[in-house]
Amino acid sequence: MLNKLLKYDLKYMIKNMSIFYMLSIFFAITTRILFDIEQSVIINIIGQISVSCMFGMIASILINTMMKSWGRFRDSLYKDESYLTHTLPVTKNELYNSKFIQTLIFFFIGFIVIILSLFIAYYSKENWLSITNYIKTITAGLNMNTFFFIVMAIILIFLEVFNAIMCGFFGMILGHKKNNGKLGYSVLVGFIIYLIAQASIIALLFIYGLFDSSVMGLFKSGTISIDVNAFKTLAIIASILYLLIIYGISLLCKKELNKGVNVE
Amino acid sequence: MKLLEIKNLNKSFENKEILKDVNLSLSSGKIVGLLGKNGAGKTTLIKLINDLLTPTSGEILINGNKVGVETKKVISYLPERTYLNKQMKVSEVIDYFKDFYKDFDEKKAEKLLKDLDLDINQHLTKMSKGMQEKVQLVLVMSRNADLYILDEPLGGVDPATRDYILDTILSNFNENASVILSTHLISDIERILDEVIFIDKGKIVLQSDADKLRNKEKSSIDEIFRRMFKC
Repeated sequence: MLNKLLKYDLKYMIKNMSIFYMLSIFFAITTRILFDIEQSVIINIIGQISVSCMFGMIASILINTMMKSWGRFRDSLYKDESYLTHTLPVTKNELYNSKFIQTLIFFFIGFIVIILSLFIAYYSKENWLSITNYIKTITAGLNMNTFFFIVMAIILIFLEVFNAIMCGFFGMILGHKKNNGKLGYSVLVGFIIYLIAQASIIALLFIYGLFDSSVMGLFKSGTISIDVNAFKTLAIIASILYLLIIYGISLLCKKELNKGVNVE
Repeated sequence: MKLLEIKNLNKSFENKEILKDVNLSLSSGKIVGLLGKNGAGKTTLIKLINDLLTPTSGEILINGNKVGVETKKVISYLPERTYLNKQMKVSEVIDYFKDFYKDFDEKKAEKLLKDLDLDINQHLTKMSKGMQEKVQLVLVMSRNADLYILDEPLGGVDPATRDYILDTILSNFNENASVILSTHLISDIERILDEVIFIDKGKIVLQSDADKLRNKEKSSIDEIFRRMFKC
């Protein structure tokens, strides 16, 4: 049944997100065209508007993926639609997993559309060179491999945002349970869970640092030009901790859902 | 085995007892009226059977199974509110039910929609609340379930359609199935009831065969209800 639930969750998200994807790519194309054609004051002004619109759409993709994921979770599990969701012959775990996978897929799609939009708008040999040179400058300062830096940065940003969404899901489950669906309480609980999750990651990294002096150096030193291995280790350990915390939050969400719901 | 069996069921919200030690059993092949005043606990009881609420204590068994995936396969539930995703068309909602319920009869749904002048290609957002309620009723009655639970099915519809709905209920459930009907409009449904359950202040105060009760009290169920729950 998970595939069927997922089918309808994905359909919902496609209906709601496709407009942002299309507009982001549309403004990327107009930006590209306007900056490629002969320049004039008017074209330049329109070009700047197009750039603003494209970045507005990029921000909308990020914000709406988050908001729609939370909204879908709340509507399906606790609002009117929950009368259908909870009477479907599916387990609570399947309900949760469907929302989890849907969020994961749409964050991935969002990232791809953002990268594609930026590529369409700005790709040229000169720009590519200046970006790679900029990244090389940073990575050289950190004594790091460029590819490793980019991959780890993307993974960590992705895990950080995804962790925030999971905290929101757990906040909604606990908030609804304690206060019968009042949104403000759910948001507050979600935010507290997020802070606890972040503090846990830092605390666990610090504990790891007690056994690894290079990592502890990052906590104690004021400069960032430290041993390359310390940063690598830190990034890898942080990613693993994020994954563990996301997994842990998911288990707690499922455990709470399996205790039963009380729909208004 | 009983179709529905409820043992010592209690439900409280913030220290307020909504249902108190409810015991109930129901056989197959009956149309049962769940009758009570506003706030008597009818909807709470129905929501507990449908896993929308969690009992404080007690047990609910459907065909011997505790409330869960297996019981949801055999219960067709119509809530007292519109619960469909408004972004969908009627045809998409039919596909949704077909996907999740093996007992869903698409042909029956299409026939019922046609009888009720509902357009299968219309978006739910463009339908009135009454029309959406009719779509929900069609979906629920198009399943070949063991137990139909209809919470206020006549509430939002015009009197002319009420008769059609009652006839639909009568003609669309099989002899092995039962229907629980919760409503305030007792006189409208009285003709189709086999059994009645009166609920008051969270307690079952009466469960009886409808004909036996009428003969015993020498009055209609509606009159008995009015007498019993007179303010």
